[in-house]
Parts: sequence; C-alpha cells; structure tokens
Amino acid sequence: MRILYHLIVLYMTIQLVWYLFREKNFWKQASLVLVLVLFLLRLFLIE
Amino acid sequence: MKTKHIIAGSLLLALTLAVGFFSGREFLSMRQDDEIFPSSGLTAKKMLSDYFPALKDTAGDTEVFIFDSAAKGGNLLIVGGTHPNEPAGTMTAILLAETIRAAQGKAVIIPWANASGFTHSDPQEGSPQRFFLETPAGRRWFRLGSRVTNPVHQWPDPTIYVNPMGQKLAGIEARNLNRAYPGKATGYLTEKVAFAVMALIQKEGIELGIDLHESAPEYPVINAIVFHENASELAAIAQMELQAEGFEFRLEASPPNLRGLTHREWGDAAGIKAVLLETPNASHGRLKGRPTISLIVDGKDKYYEQAARLGRLFVPYGPDGIPLKLRVARHLAGVRAILASFNELEPDKAIELADMPSPADVQAKGLGPFLK
Repeated sequence: MRILYHLIVLYMTIQLVWYLFREKNFWKQASLVLVLVLFLLRLFLIE
Repeated sequence: MKTKHIIAGSLLLALTLAVGFFSGREFLSMRQDDEIFPSSGLTAKKMLSDYFPALKDTAGDTEVFIFDSAAKGGNLLIVGGTHPNEPAGTMTAILLAETIRAAQGKAVIIPWANASGFTHSDPQEGSPQRFFLETPAGRRWFRLGSRVTNPVHQWPDPTIYVNPMGQKLAGIEARNLNRAYPGKATGYLTEKVAFAVMALIQKEGIELGIDLHESAPEYPVINAIVFHENASELAAIAQMELQAEGFEFRLEASPPNLRGLTHREWGDAAGIKAVLLETPNASHGRLKGRPTISLIVDGKDKYYEQAARLGRLFVPYGPDGIPLKLRVARHLAGVRAILASFNELEPDKAIELADMPSPADVQAKGLGPFLK
C-alpha cells in the first residue's frame, strides 16, 4: 500500500515539476509551487 | 526571453526545496521523544511491546513505568496520552512517574499511550508542536500531539471504521486509541496498541485503571469521572471526597452501547474497575481563538470567556482561564480520591502511593517545581 502511495505522489510531483517549467505565466508558476511543497513533504512521508 | 520562464521555474523550484527542507525538519522534530526522569521509586521500565511483541520497532511502541512496593496490595494502571492533544492527561502521568513511590501494591504508568499521535499535530489547526515548563533543572519541552495516530504510521483510513467490538464509526476513528479497545492482534496499528494495553492489564494483574483525558469546555462530558458500571460505587465515593476538597466533578456512566473506549472495554473485557477523568482544555475546543503555547499552559482565551458569559459552556470560565496547573491538580485530586475510594472498598487490595504532589501545591506553585 505504501509503495502505491509513493508511486502516486511521485507521479504527481513529476507532473508538477514538468508543468512548472512549461508554464510561462509567473503567477501560475508561483501558485503551482505552493502545491509542490506539500507533495514533496508527502513524498518523504513527513506529516 | 524564451528562457525567462525557465529561470523563474528554477528559482521557484529552489525556493520550494528550501521551504520543503525547513518545514520538513520542523515536522520531523516531533518524532523526537520527550524526556522523562522517573523517581527513585521506579522498580522496572518496560516497553509496551514487552506485552505484545508485534509492536516492537513500530511507532506504536511506548514506555511503561512500574512502581512496585513488593508489599501485598492491588495493582493500578494510569494512562496518559491516549489523546496526545490533551496535555493535562500526559503531564499528570509524567508528574506521577517523576515523583511517586509505591508504598503498597503496584502502579503501572503509561504517559504516552498513543506514541504515534505525538509525532504530528492536527492538520489545519495551527497548534504549537510543543509547550515549555520551567523546572528546577531548567526549561523542559513537552509535545502537543494529535488526537489520533499519525497517518504516516497508519494509512489509509477506511470510509467507515468498524472497531473491534463491531461499532461503526467515521473512518478517522480507526486512528483513535480510545475507540480501538479491546484491540486486535492483527488489526490496525492503533488496534494493536489497544491490544497491547489489554495484554499489560492481564499480565500485570491490574485491578483498577484510570485513563486521563481532557475535553473542550463546550462539551458536556467535562470535569467528570466517567465510570464503568463495576466502578460505580467507587466513582460515587470518589466524587463525594472530591466535593469535600472543593473540586466539582460530575459522574457520567459509561454508555453500554458506546464501544471501544477504555471505560467500557477495560471493564467488560478485562473485568477491572475502569474510570476516565476529564478536565476542561480550551486549547482543543472549537471556540478558541489563536492556538498558542500560552493557551495550553495558561488556558486563557477571550472567546471562551465570551462563550461562558453567553452560557454556552459546561464549566465556569473566567478571565483567569483554566490553566494547565489547575487541570493537572484536578487529575491528581481525581487519582487520589479514586485510590482512597478503591482502598475503602477493597481493603485487602489497597494501593498506597507515597510522595505524590498534593493538588493544592500543584495548583499554587505550578507543575515545574515538582518535575526534574
């Protein structure tokens, strides 16, 4: 179950980083990193 | 120009990693256990996993302190930290472990019953991670955890939780130790912790169990002794003694159809006299203002004052608030009265704890001077 959770969170994190570099609007990039912090913490199982 | 968004993205990613690093370090600091300095009356220190080995090396394992007089008498269990966001329960257990000596019978103390719950705080509450008390040896910190087990240690929550007694509850209650009794050897981590406590009760021959809690001032079961029906006489005598001392306690019978709680399952499954004590804690109530360390320790909150004026609370709440020292004093008075009542009813199984701080002293001086 934990591996599945890691895979889901890792997939979402990679997607977020991918969009971070594709997005051209700075404010959308800034909004995106607010979510990315949470995904990074989740990825390392930090609650 | 084409690379402008790449540069912005790189800077933002670096910022994200920095924020993630520092906030992650803060969160991880909660996995460091509080320190405890047991009194010289300690005769054995065990782990909960000694009673149920499947808990070993898990986040549910926790310290158990035993004070055995070797003189014939009864056996008492005191549990704090069933709900890690109810600090008076934990602090009373710590205070007892650092001061008492068993003069007759045996006392077993578990200060952090839901050890996993102390490794995180409730999401979206903005609660402080720890609070501080001045002691003769200097400033000590104590964690304020969450009501439930850390989801990192027990995940995912079911949609509906069916506890070991078959009661259906909201999914999050699967992580609530006080809904998981009598536990399950092959169940969730929280159920395994409950199972280990039941194994301890059996192995240590416990006859009287006291579970120390707190509740929000707007919650009706407050300033209360919640008792299993086999402890009804004991609770009634204790209440009279407490009233004579000036402590108002109400009596609440454990509802027979509310399953999985200590005051129900310790009595039903283990046959011991089981009681649960509640004190009022503004820091985990819903009407509070900003959750601060001061709110935990000093217990003052202007919104609760207003709620009291409007008659919305079940306890008196004035400008002085309800400080931690008063809540711990109430728990100490409750433990003392319950013990006196137990000794009166079961003189051949008497339990005597020496060197226990008096509630009046704790109320007057605070906890600090009695801690190491």
